[in-house]
Amino acid sequence: MIVDWFDANLVSILNGFAIGSLLFILAVGLSIVFGMMDVLNLAHGALYLVGAYLGYQFAGDTSSWAGFLTALGTAALVGLLAGGVLSTMTEPLARRPHLDQALLTLGVALVVAELLAIFYGNDVLRVVAPPGLNGSTKVFGDTYPTYRLALIGIGALIAVAVYVVVERTTVGALVRASVADREMVSAVGVDNRRVKLAVLGVGSSLAALAGVLGGPINGAGPGLDERVLILALVVVVIGGLGSIKGAFVGALLIGQVESLGRALVPDLASFVLFGALALVLIVRPRGLFGAPKAAV
Amino acid sequence: MRPRLLVGVAVLVVLAMVPLFVAPYETGILSRILIFALLAVSLDVLVGITGLPSLGHAAYFGIGAYTAGWLSINVTAEAPVPLLAAALAGAVAAAATGWLAVRSSGIFFLMLTLAIGELIFQLAQQWESVTGGSNGLFGIPAVRLAGSPLTLAGFVYWYVLAGFVIGYAVLRVVSASPFGAVLRGIRDNEPRMRSLGYSPFRYKYAAFVLAGAVAGLAGGLLAAQARLVTTADVGFTTAALALLAVVIGGAGTLWGACLGAALVVLVRDALGPRLDGHGPLVLGLVFILAVYLLPRGFAGLSALRVRRRPA
Amino acid sequence: MNPRVLPAHPMSRRQMLGLMGAGSVAMVGTAACGGGSVGGGNDDEPAGNTSGGGGGGPIKVGLVIPQAGIYTPLGIDMQNAWELWLEQNDGMLGGYTVETVIADEGEGPDTGVPAIQGVLQNDQVDVLVGIVNSATALGAADAVTEAQKVLIISNAGAAAITGEASSPYIWRSSFVNAQVVVPMAEYLAANDIGPVYVMSADYAAGQEVVAGFIAAFEAANGTIAGQVLTPFMTTSDFQPFLSGIQSSGAAATFVFYAGGEAVSFVQQYAQFGLKDSIPLYGSGFLTEGGVLNGQQDAAIGVRTSLHYSTEIDNENNAAFVEAYQGAYDALPTCYAVQTWDAANVLNRALAQAPDLSGDAISEALGGLGEIEDSPRGPWSFNGQTPEQNFYLREVVEGDGGLINSVVEDLGVYAQP
Repeated sequence: MIVDWFDANLVSILNGFAIGSLLFILAVGLSIVFGMMDVLNLAHGALYLVGAYLGYQFAGDTSSWAGFLTALGTAALVGLLAGGVLSTMTEPLARRPHLDQALLTLGVALVVAELLAIFYGNDVLRVVAPPGLNGSTKVFGDTYPTYRLALIGIGALIAVAVYVVVERTTVGALVRASVADREMVSAVGVDNRRVKLAVLGVGSSLAALAGVLGGPINGAGPGLDERVLILALVVVVIGGLGSIKGAFVGALLIGQVESLGRALVPDLASFVLFGALALVLIVRPRGLFGAPKAAV
Repeated sequence: MRPRLLVGVAVLVVLAMVPLFVAPYETGILSRILIFALLAVSLDVLVGITGLPSLGHAAYFGIGAYTAGWLSINVTAEAPVPLLAAALAGAVAAAATGWLAVRSSGIFFLMLTLAIGELIFQLAQQWESVTGGSNGLFGIPAVRLAGSPLTLAGFVYWYVLAGFVIGYAVLRVVSASPFGAVLRGIRDNEPRMRSLGYSPFRYKYAAFVLAGAVAGLAGGLLAAQARLVTTADVGFTTAALALLAVVIGGAGTLWGACLGAALVVLVRDALGPRLDGHGPLVLGLVFILAVYLLPRGFAGLSALRVRRRPA
Repeated sequence: MNPRVLPAHPMSRRQMLGLMGAGSVAMVGTAACGGGSVGGGNDDEPAGNTSGGGGGGPIKVGLVIPQAGIYTPLGIDMQNAWELWLEQNDGMLGGYTVETVIADEGEGPDTGVPAIQGVLQNDQVDVLVGIVNSATALGAADAVTEAQKVLIISNAGAAAITGEASSPYIWRSSFVNAQVVVPMAEYLAANDIGPVYVMSADYAAGQEVVAGFIAAFEAANGTIAGQVLTPFMTTSDFQPFLSGIQSSGAAATFVFYAGGEAVSFVQQYAQFGLKDSIPLYGSGFLTEGGVLNGQQDAAIGVRTSLHYSTEIDNENNAAFVEAYQGAYDALPTCYAVQTWDAANVLNRALAQAPDLSGDAISEALGGLGEIEDSPRGPWSFNGQTPEQNFYLREVVEGDGGLINSVVEDLGVYAQP
């Protein structure tokens, strides 16, 4: 019985993992920054969009590894720079309420999205997967696009990499400490601004990478940044602020809701998503795995 | 207070005379500015006066608009029935959702209102029989005043102006009243207000419902003016633009929100086509500048966290 | 404590905002001097010309097309065809010199309806042509009727426009959504295809197509394996729905998507392996025009029904395709032909109408008989919408790219 159900829905479940992987790569940076500095980076979706357009720029209509890898590399760099710029931009507002910084990022998101639309036009553009990953594979009898399988693998790799860095390195320890108790970290003599710069930089870089990786599935076009930002917010809130594990679990969960949920109960899927978001915000604002913290 | 009152009356007179000199298309734009301004002012009550930053306020605006529209099509378009129904619908929706929403604060409140807004947006998309889904609610008949429909842009403008004045007056009176003072107290220092014996939850809740009602009223005016309600009116973009308007204009002053709203609508609708529809670029830049250069414009927002009073 | 300590900033901020406010009112005011919006009973002044039939003089035409969003390519085709007609006819319609004002309808009614109102009130056009999105057309119907100007819709296929919401001023040179799929439904039923799964996007056009197909298919004794409407404009991943098709036991799939969604759908249909096991049929827009470039091999073999194909064999079409290719280095689409025909009928109507009023033009349009020189084949107005031939087309590799070759002529159909 159960096996039959799985068989019938295997493709949806797989797809859920693929979407989940993408969401994880996107959301992990947002989660850490939010957990660490209570800064809600509303420009995160715009960074994804930048990555998506870079994907179109280099891997637009023809399938090639060179193009795709160039897109990935450029996106990583641009993301890093953008994160640094954002960090610098929010510095003058450090003494002001966190809300002001969030609003600043909202303004930046607007500007970036409009600039991209001016440069690339209003059409929805395609990004092509590199050769080899362009076709379909048979998975237990069902056909599934190869690229999405690869995405699951990439997501897992990045998750492992992020986990190793955060849990096993000194830099990671700094990040974890900052999430737990920011003031203490600065009292110990570490410059919080540097940590913030690093985290925003890497987080933004991951967001842009997610944009390139998501290109063959979502394309690149106006409005994508809003949709993606809201999904990332849901993941971050449900999974828990500042928690890698939370971002991972949250992303996989939301991925399944978006995929299996839409296949089984298409009308309810959106309600489930936002209803869950609202519920978590009311009942347990720090999320499933978020570190309990003194009232903000 | 006197000079302010005089200025207010003068502005009102000028606004009232507009349709006598201005062509229909531009009068229509001014109507839309007034509608959006009322929405922004109602949001200002939440953001600037009570210190609750909401990114989902368009939900009550949209609910009011759909109610007025549906009523006009199916029951009656006789003023002020659709307007009153719209305000009531906004209030009810705000009461139902605000009861949960005002339990959180700061960034969490922001995200929670975003979630609520998205839920209502999805509801509007799905409930096609009432809202028309993604096609929108079209074919809304013109508002009727004592039996005759108001089709001329000028008459519609006066109707909108009347609604705006009523809504604004109500909020102005509330803001200047002791109730408003308590709200500001809660905004500045909630624990202290609690220790003084006020129940912050009740006051915040009341403010939320009031803001929802006026937003619903603005929605009712939209239904009468545009005669088309779409899911865009209830969604995140409208909510974000309203927040932009409040912040640019100066949170907490009510009339500041009006100016912010005028700027937003003009840039988007009047300037936008000349910039190939890239009005939001200008808005975003203005917004960023406002955040940096006009710190007092955030007088309401800045006081969200507990301020340490100098001894 | 001195309560009258006023910080310096707010004063200058207020002054600045006050200046902005005054400036904006002044800007709007000066842009709109004179006339007023309550005088004389009539909002809109008739644009100047009242000379007798074909008497010459200027005519202002508002071309409402999408220049932003997913339907932009359709807008380009429509504009191309319009300009091509004018070029071939010395920039004249019915003896009047044409001034075209282009309005951007954007992606939906929230941008489209204000754009149409702008062009009606601000630019004071005499006639409107265009509109891609059905919801926009429905939303603007009242405004156009109240302004008493003729609108020739050259795409939007909502049934209500020439049905319930109909007005004597709104005509169509295109099609009705359900009209396009009825021929296919009857063809599939007649060929005993088996259970069919029906799918489209959840908006006016999609809903009408699904309802129209199912009604016609079941009336011809076909069985429906299932149906679904996908969230409109926000679905880029069709996988959940494709799974639904596979588990429904369908023998064929019939869908309607246009623009970007058509590209995503057809591609994913092939990627998820359905193309070889469950043949794909569709309403012509699925494989019309630019989307073929996006779909590439995934589209080969897909069969659709439509009232146009570049491969229709008649001399008007041959001439049209050649001229279009020569001018724009691309093949024309049904969107282009529809706009071309709009110019065609407007030309004929204006030649006969005594003046440029909406009533006169509308009456002249009603008096036109068969339009025999259209690239799509002969057609005539029936209920203000074309009664025309439909063709069964299949996507094949042509020289220079994919084309929709005509497999069969499905007959003449009016709006259902």
